[in-house]
Amino acid sequence: MVDPIFDYQFRLILIGDSTVGKSSLLKYFTDGKFAELSDPTVGVDFFARIIEVQDGTRIKLQLWDTAGQERFRSITKSYYRNSVGALLVYDVCNRSSFEHIPLWMMEAKRHIEPHRPVFALVGCKIDLVGTDNKSGARREVSCEEARMFAEENGLHHVETSAKTGLNVEEAFVLVAQEVYNRIQTGEYKVENGWDGIKTGFNRPNGMDFNLLEAETVQSTCC
Amino acid sequence: MPTSDSEDFESADEGHGSPVKKERKKRLSSSNYSDNALETDQKSHNTQNLTNSLNKSVEKEGTDGWDDFEIDENEPVSLNVPPSATKVEKKDTKVTNEETMIKESKKSQDTGWDDFDDWGDDEYCSNIQKTEPHKTQSHSLQPDPDIKAVTDRLAAASTGGSSAGWGWGWSVDSLLSTATAGFTNITSQVSQGISTVLETSIGAPDPEELARRNIKEREDESKTSKEESLTPKEVPENKEKDNGEAFQFGSLLSGVTKFVETTSTKVISGGLDTLETIGKKTMAVLEDGDPGLAKKRALLGLGTGDKPVLSQVLREAKAKADEEDKIKEEKREAKEVHYENLFDDFEGLVHLEALEMLSKQVSMRIEERLSGVASEKRQDMKETLQQVAELCEMPEEDDDDEEPPSEDMSKPDVLHERLQTATQDLGLKLQFQPLVKQYKEVLDYVTSDSEATVKAIYKRAVSGLAQATALSVEQYHKAAEMLLVKTRRSTADEADALTQMTVVLTKHISELATLFTEKLNSLPADNKAQTNNYITNIFLEAGNSSTYIQNAFQLALPILQIGAV
Repeated sequence: MVDPIFDYQFRLILIGDSTVGKSSLLKYFTDGKFAELSDPTVGVDFFARIIEVQDGTRIKLQLWDTAGQERFRSITKSYYRNSVGALLVYDVCNRSSFEHIPLWMMEAKRHIEPHRPVFALVGCKIDLVGTDNKSGARREVSCEEARMFAEENGLHHVETSAKTGLNVEEAFVLVAQEVYNRIQTGEYKVENGWDGIKTGFNRPNGMDFNLLEAETVQSTCC
Repeated sequence: MPTSDSEDFESADEGHGSPVKKERKKRLSSSNYSDNALETDQKSHNTQNLTNSLNKSVEKEGTDGWDDFEIDENEPVSLNVPPSATKVEKKDTKVTNEETMIKESKKSQDTGWDDFDDWGDDEYCSNIQKTEPHKTQSHSLQPDPDIKAVTDRLAAASTGGSSAGWGWGWSVDSLLSTATAGFTNITSQVSQGISTVLETSIGAPDPEELARRNIKEREDESKTSKEESLTPKEVPENKEKDNGEAFQFGSLLSGVTKFVETTSTKVISGGLDTLETIGKKTMAVLEDGDPGLAKKRALLGLGTGDKPVLSQVLREAKAKADEEDKIKEEKREAKEVHYENLFDDFEGLVHLEALEMLSKQVSMRIEERLSGVASEKRQDMKETLQQVAELCEMPEEDDDDEEPPSEDMSKPDVLHERLQTATQDLGLKLQFQPLVKQYKEVLDYVTSDSEATVKAIYKRAVSGLAQATALSVEQYHKAAEMLLVKTRRSTADEADALTQMTVVLTKHISELATLFTEKLNSLPADNKAQTNNYITNIFLEAGNSSTYIQNAFQLALPILQIGAV
C-alpha cells in the first residue's frame, strides 16, 4: 500500500509491443525488483507509486500497464483516454518494437484527444547490450537514432534496464516533472470528467497557484 | 645584486608553488586523460604560460627546483636588517620549513639562541629606551628639577641594577614604567608642593594626606582624568612585582601609585554619578509621552517587528512545523480508516473504472449493432439482451443449496474451491490466489492471541474489507477483458458462472465482517458504546463492499451480452 498523502495524481499509460519490458519496468519502479519470468499482461494492470517533483510536491503516479499482445489491442484502446502521460516503450535489442513506436504514438494521440499528453520514449533491456550471453541479444536500435526520433517528435528519451535499475526512476520522474511543469504554466488543468490529473487527499480544493514554477529535468542519455 | 635577486625571488614566489606541481602532475598523468582533450588543452595552455614565465625566471638563475628557491629565500633574509627579515619570513611562511625559520632567527641575532641572560638584557634595554622619551616629554612640559632628579636616579639605578639578575631586572623595569607613567600625570597637574612631599617623604609618603590636600585642584582638572584612568590598570601588577628587594623605591612607588589609584577612583565615581544623572534625565525626556519608547523604537527601526529575536523565530517555526505535522497525521489517520481511500489504494477503484470504460465501449458497440439491423431482427436482439440480463439477476438468498464444507479442508481452501466451482463454466483462467491469501491473513489475525485495541481491530476490519472488495472487483475486470478476447462465447454459461461467483464473493465479504465483529465482541468491553459503534460500521462497510461487487458484476453485463448478439 502506498503512502496516502499526495498532492496530485497523474495517470500514465505504458504502451508498446509485447515483451519489450513494460511490466518489468513498472515492477522495478514500484517494487525495486526484477522478475526473470513473468506472465504476459492481460488487458491492463495497475501500479502506483508516489514521487516528489523538484519543489517537493508529492505526486501519486497511477500507472496503467497495458498488454502489448495484438489480441488485446481493441481493449487497451479504451484505456487511453484518461492518461496525461504516455511512455512509449521499446526493446533496444528488438528493431521492430522500435519501428512500431510511431504507430503506438499515433494511436495514443488519437485516443487521448483533445488532451495532449506528455510522451516519453523509453528503451528497455539496455543491460543486454554488449553482453555475449546465451540469448544472443545485441543492440538493434542505436541511442542516436532513438534520440533523433525523440527530438523530431518532441519527446523525452531515455534508455533503461529493469534488471540493473538504470534510468528506471528517471524515466518516470521525467514525465511526472513535465506534467507538473505544464500544470504550473496553466497548460494542464484539473477537469471534471477527465482523470488524467486529479488532486490528492492533501489538497481537496483545487490547485495551489502559489507554487513556484519548477525547472525542467534534463534527460540523461547518450 | 640584492635588487635583482629579490626581483627574481618575487617572480619565483608567484610562479612556483602550485603551477610547478600542476605541470608535473600534468606531465605524469597526461596520458591518462588524453580523451578529455578539449578541457585539458585549455588547462595546459594556461599552465604553459605560467610555466613559461616560471622557466624564464628559473633560467636566469641557471638552476631550477625547490632547493634553489629555499636558498633564494634565505638570501634576502640574511642581507637585510632583522626587522625586515622577519617581515619576509612571515610572508613566506607557507613555503619555509621550521628549520629555515630557526636558521633565520639565529642569523638575526649576533649572539646564540640559548644565551638567555643576554637576550633578556636586550629586551630590557629596549624597554628603557622606550620609556626615556616619555620622561623627557614630561620634563619639557614642566621642568621640575626635583622630579627630574628622582627619575634620573631611578633610571640610573635600574641601568646599573641590570647586572643584579633576571628577576630583579624585570621587576625594576615594570616598576619604572609604571612610575614614569605616574609621574607624567602628576607633573601635568600637581603643584610644587607635591614634589616637595615626594622628595621629603621617600620611604613613607602618606597617600591619604596627599589626596586630601589636592582634592580640589584635581577635581577641576577633569581633562586629565582619562589619562589617569589608564594608570590603575598597571597598579596591581606593580604591587605584585614589588617584592621589596628594590630598596627604597618600592615604598616610594607604591605610595605614588596608591595615591593615583585613590584619586582616579574618586574622579571616576564622581564622573559616573554625573553620567547617571544625565542619563536619567535624557530617558525622562525621551520617554515623555512615549512610555516604553515604543514609538521612538519603531521610528529608529529598532522595533521587535523589524528585528525579530532569533529564538522567537525558531519557536514560531517549530510551532508551525508541529501544527503541520499534526494536521498531516490527522489526515493520515483519517485516511487509514477511510474505506474509499483504502479501496483506491488496493487498486479497487481503478479496476472498477477500467471495467466501466470497457462496459461503456461495449455498450456503444451493442447500440451500433442494434441500430444496424432490420427492425424485426432488432426485436430479437433486444430479447436476447434481456434474457442475458435476467440470467445475471442475483438469486434469492437461500442457503439450503450449499454443501457443508468437508472437515479436512481449511477455510481458505474452501473459498478457493467454491470460486473455482462457480467459475468453471466461464472458460477462463482467473487468478483467485490473492483473495485466498488475504482470507488466510484475516483468519490468522482474528485467531491470534495478540493484544489488539478495539480501534486497531476496527481499522484492520475496514482495510480487510476494502482489500477483499478490490481483489473481487479485479476479478470482474479481468474476466471482462478475457471474455472480450475469447474466441468462442457461450453467454448463458458465462452469465451463470459470473452470477455464482458474485454469490460466493458477497458471502465471503459477510464472512469477513463476521470474523472482525466476533473479534471485537470477544474483547473485554471498556467502552461498549464505542465497540457497538465500530461493529455497526463494519457491517455498513461490508454492505458497501457487496454493493461494489454487484456493481462490478452489472458493469460486466454488456460484455456478456455482446457475446450473444
